[in-house]
Amino acid sequence: MRRWKSSALIVVLAAAALSQTASQLQSDAVRRVGAHLACLCGACKNTVADCPMLECHFAKPARVRIAALQAQGKSDSEIIALFVAEHGKQVLAVPPAEGFNLLAWTMPFVAIAAGLALVWHFIQRFRKPPSVAAGQEDTLLRYREEIEKDLARLD
Amino acid sequence: MENLGSLAVLLAFCLGVYAFLGSLIGGWKNKPYLVASAERSVLAIWFLLTVASAILVTALLTSDFRLAYVAAHSNRAMPTLYKFAAWWGGQEGSLLFWSWLLACYNAVVVLTNRRKHRRIMPYVTAILVATQVFFLILNAFVASPFRVLAVGREVTAVPDGRGLNPLLQYWAMALHPPTLYLGFVGFVVPYAFAMASLITREPGDAWIHTTRRWTLVTWLFQSCGILLGAGWAYAVLGWGGYWAWDPVENASLLPWLTATAFLHSVMMQEKKGMMKVWNMVLVAATFWLCIFGTFLTRSGVVSSVHAFAQSPIGMYFVVFLAIIFAVSVYLILDRLDYLKSEARLESVISRESSFLFNNLILVASCFAVLWGTLFPVISEAFTGEKISVGPPFFNRVNIPIGLFLLFLTGVGPLFAWRRTSLESLKRNFLWPSVAGLSLIAVLVALGVRHFYALVCFGLCLFVAWTIVAEFYKGSRAIRARTGQNWLAAAVELTHRNTRRYGGYIVHMGIVLMFIGFAGAAFNKHATVEVRMGDTFRIGRYDLRVLDLREGDNENYSWQHAVIEVRQDGRPVGTLEPERRFYKASEQPTSEVAIRRRLNEDLYLNYAGLSNEDPSKAVIQAYVFPLVSWIWIGSATLIFGCLICLIPSKTRREYPRTQVVGVVERYAAVEK
Repeated sequence: MRRWKSSALIVVLAAAALSQTASQLQSDAVRRVGAHLACLCGACKNTVADCPMLECHFAKPARVRIAALQAQGKSDSEIIALFVAEHGKQVLAVPPAEGFNLLAWTMPFVAIAAGLALVWHFIQRFRKPPSVAAGQEDTLLRYREEIEKDLARLD
Repeated sequence: MENLGSLAVLLAFCLGVYAFLGSLIGGWKNKPYLVASAERSVLAIWFLLTVASAILVTALLTSDFRLAYVAAHSNRAMPTLYKFAAWWGGQEGSLLFWSWLLACYNAVVVLTNRRKHRRIMPYVTAILVATQVFFLILNAFVASPFRVLAVGREVTAVPDGRGLNPLLQYWAMALHPPTLYLGFVGFVVPYAFAMASLITREPGDAWIHTTRRWTLVTWLFQSCGILLGAGWAYAVLGWGGYWAWDPVENASLLPWLTATAFLHSVMMQEKKGMMKVWNMVLVAATFWLCIFGTFLTRSGVVSSVHAFAQSPIGMYFVVFLAIIFAVSVYLILDRLDYLKSEARLESVISRESSFLFNNLILVASCFAVLWGTLFPVISEAFTGEKISVGPPFFNRVNIPIGLFLLFLTGVGPLFAWRRTSLESLKRNFLWPSVAGLSLIAVLVALGVRHFYALVCFGLCLFVAWTIVAEFYKGSRAIRARTGQNWLAAAVELTHRNTRRYGGYIVHMGIVLMFIGFAGAAFNKHATVEVRMGDTFRIGRYDLRVLDLREGDNENYSWQHAVIEVRQDGRPVGTLEPERRFYKASEQPTSEVAIRRRLNEDLYLNYAGLSNEDPSKAVIQAYVFPLVSWIWIGSATLIFGCLICLIPSKTRREYPRTQVVGVVERYAAVEK
């Protein structure tokens, strides 16, 4: 409760004076929203919450805006939606889990699952003794190759 | 002089083409003289590229600003070390540096194998030289470092250069590119041996034995390179991060992950003759990713698909990558018969299957990183919409994978080859598990609630315990026989099987690094604007700005804050973070001040005077718990890897079941 109060206080302060300095815009509430937004300054790959450049031409105004919108009583998701409307989905720090972008999230785990299936297949196959016919071919091939190699050496 | 440099590169290119054709035809038609002449061309290429590089370095050191490259990446006031480091500071120079390192490796391979592996060597040479030719095309025709500045037909010099990017003027940054490149370039050698053994249908493991050491050395360089880069980012970029999942960083991590997988699965082939196809795939994938990483960093493709079209070298890389891919896939598929496994898997709970899981997880994390790095480009190509894949994505996907890998680090080495009994599982894992779980319980009782951090600390203790227990058991046995003290017994134990115990030390390094990574869950940060004499607080520290000083030298002007630090009210000295303004490049940089301790780092960045109120200084203060353990872990990892490179005292021969024998026995049963 106390924490909520103090962050609310900072939000009010930020709204009262939009000329506030960068330091006062690092409140927990602003950081919480900023963590969902990518800094589009072009120099870094950070989020608005983490962009370390004090005078960043993207992150700094974005933080001021977040604070102002919060002071107007906008919820986190409303603020994020506003940013998306303005800058496109690129402003989201991670791809939204919808449509084509679902692939971003699912593929790594699909790959692990496929890999597990492959490992399982490998384990099953290699636990069986080799079939004799295949083995004989194998042997012949090996000997033939050995002979060929020896012949090549004779040349 | 620059004409001589260009000529040397051009000649090297011609010789490269000759050496490629010569060694291929010589190997194919069995003409030893042609092969020998191709190998000498490799040495000549090394000589020519050394001359070219020497000319470029001389131009950098003597500030010859007629050269466009020198004017863009050096300036008179820069310290000599950085003038030298400017060799790899820009596109053209770094490509020449790549080429030169490759030529060095090639020369070493040719010289050390003059009498060995004569059947596969022509093809090894051909593959090495083919890679060399690719880079020489870039050096000679696409990104020549010897272009001169000219007005009309008159060659002119600018009075002073623009200087090396000031962020790169830091000792670790002077070392980071060479070590990383040594790691990247070096992987061409295992690849060349692997492919040559496929071409010649040499079913034996000659290539594995020859390239084992090469792989370890290049892996060591890759690791050093990545870690130096992380150390540089931490100490220079001014925000205290050591890893930001930047595409360029990811590019260096990808081949490292597959190379790590290869280092493990190669043991399966050495000891059991299994996973031969897989090892080929890993070697090829690692080499492909090394070139791919260079492509990512050099072409700018990841910032946008459109940036790619602007960069002239991108297309060359795409073609080369396609060739590597096609050749590797063709050779592996065509020669599958020669890569049959020689042994069977006997139990799911065995060292063999733990290697399978280890490989799966390493390759999966490699895929996840690659996928995240490329997804913006893929998405833009398919949907036309730009999206971002930021650090939160990579953290969310890779932290669970990384923790599982850490778990396997502890479990894998304790599984016996072939099969592991439940009894031995209990013996080996009871106490480490109890220790790990107790640590988690204690931390929860102390109020730690971060889930991943808790799991990570628990696993770290679990794995560390298993490693120490391995050393303890081995040393105790030696002590009982020889009566040496513990230290001597441990050294003796390690010396007897350096790869095994060196490997444990590397694992220990990884554990220590994970402790450091987990610390990031508890970072603290404050940005404040303070007047002289003001005090502010972060974590357990009270900080007071005592003074602001400024000064000037040829290269940059500087301003720094003198900040008194009190820990829990007790004075512990002063820190002096600095702001620099480099004159040639007109860029500001931060020289942060860090108070490094084992439990936490206090990290101060002086960001200059406030815009709104110039009487105030802007200070960014951070507390980074446990971050030192990353660097301690790095040093441990490097030490362990060096141990692995020392030959073991006792030579190990691994008796292996021959396929021929097995088949005959089964055939006899059939009758």
